[in-house]
Amino acid sequence: MDSQLQGSQHRLIYLNNAATTWPKPPDVVNEVINSLHLPLYEPGRTTGDGSTDYPSAAREALAAFFHAGPPGHVVFTQNATDALNLLIHGFVKKTGTPFHVITTELEHNSVLRPLTALEQDGAIRLSIVPFTNTSMNPAAIKNAICEDTRLVVMTHGSNVLGSVQDIRRVAEYLHANDIFLIVDGAQTAGQISIDLSDIPVGAFVFTGHKALFGIPGIGGFFISDPDAIAITRQGGTGTDSRTLTHPPEMPVRFEAGTHNYPGIASLYAGIRFIISTGLETIEKKNADLTRSFICGLKTIGGISIYNERPELPVVSFNIPGIDNQEAGFILARAYNIITRTGLHCAPLVHERIDGGKGCIRASFSYFNTSEECRAATDAICEVAESAGS
Amino acid sequence: MKEYVLDEPLSDGFLKFLEQFGTVRYLDQLKKPYFSFEKEHFISIKGFTGDPSVEVRYKKEFQDLVADYFHLLLHYYGQGERGIATLKDYENSIRKKMRVRLDHS
Repeated sequence: MDSQLQGSQHRLIYLNNAATTWPKPPDVVNEVINSLHLPLYEPGRTTGDGSTDYPSAAREALAAFFHAGPPGHVVFTQNATDALNLLIHGFVKKTGTPFHVITTELEHNSVLRPLTALEQDGAIRLSIVPFTNTSMNPAAIKNAICEDTRLVVMTHGSNVLGSVQDIRRVAEYLHANDIFLIVDGAQTAGQISIDLSDIPVGAFVFTGHKALFGIPGIGGFFISDPDAIAITRQGGTGTDSRTLTHPPEMPVRFEAGTHNYPGIASLYAGIRFIISTGLETIEKKNADLTRSFICGLKTIGGISIYNERPELPVVSFNIPGIDNQEAGFILARAYNIITRTGLHCAPLVHERIDGGKGCIRASFSYFNTSEECRAATDAICEVAESAGS
Repeated sequence: MKEYVLDEPLSDGFLKFLEQFGTVRYLDQLKKPYFSFEKEHFISIKGFTGDPSVEVRYKKEFQDLVADYFHLLLHYYGQGERGIATLKDYENSIRKKMRVRLDHS
């Protein structure tokens, strides 16, 4: 599998799966290629047939995968960032008057930046709730609620600390108090079982190119109450072309223009891969790899590990005596080990854990091996010994 | 950040020359012996001994002032004391401009 997947590449040890998974399952690559062999098909946009209606098939697959319904409430966007922007700005526009929003210190800039922009424009008042140890205490979010709180935007899984937040507890309380909850599931979709029939979220965001094994350029969200979000983009939908106002019905309410069909095809194939492999199998392997890697790191003197018991396959650490960017450069160029360094688009987490200096992040996928983990910790040990001498 | 592929790897002599202008660090015990050069506010250079490609990073806030600095280092290397003196004069003029910018920010 490894030599087939890596092709003519020098052997890479790819530990940056929290950014984008690599390699992709062969079936995903094949589905993308297949999707381009015939003219793309979607009712209303062509008279052709004989191809797969990827948008419909993928909506059904995603709705079933997340135990969410109806499939028409699954909306495609370019990625999770695009989905979060659409939802956040759409909610503010729909609400119309300034109100209070709660978010957390664990958030990615795809949440922090839109909210900061809105705060600077005077459209919202923003509270950022700190995390405890590595995760959010639901009580802390509850305690931050004010009379005019209308929206909470929070991550499901931290891309730096690998913690999974108890969104069910948060969602139940917020739902009972008519506060809309947007959950950023970019790091958890495809990693852990998510049952949205049991979690009363306002909207759940996913991205295609991480643990769902799709290609970059596709993401989306499930929304329970579409009327909570204003329509912020208008255009062609393949239906009702005579009408100059954008259709309000789902899913086209939030989708305008031609879809990223190869992206949707990849998402469809990625979900099928996860189901056929077994999400529990994937979860267990990722957990074993992560545990093994952390055990290896712990044998190296002086390493700072910022999350020793992550629930997601993400390990953030620093090597004493060497800047994280420099260490990442050395691991990549001398050892062919790809990680990510710096602030990981989550600046507030790093202010708390490493004084804002950033760190090295290793993140695993189903396609990593225990031998790769060992090779990586051996390399990190060499870098640490060299830097310390 | 820029990655340059040079005609030949940076020599030991060049790395010694760099010590006149900033901090050079060597990590010899790695799979590929590594060096870095750091000059505050100006530039950082990273590479591996014997490898013709180097990574050069410029400080974003002063990039317009220091964009030529790596090439000047290569140019004045080999000109001995005269080259070092010329480059240090250039650095001083750049630092004055940096100070003005920092004072106004």
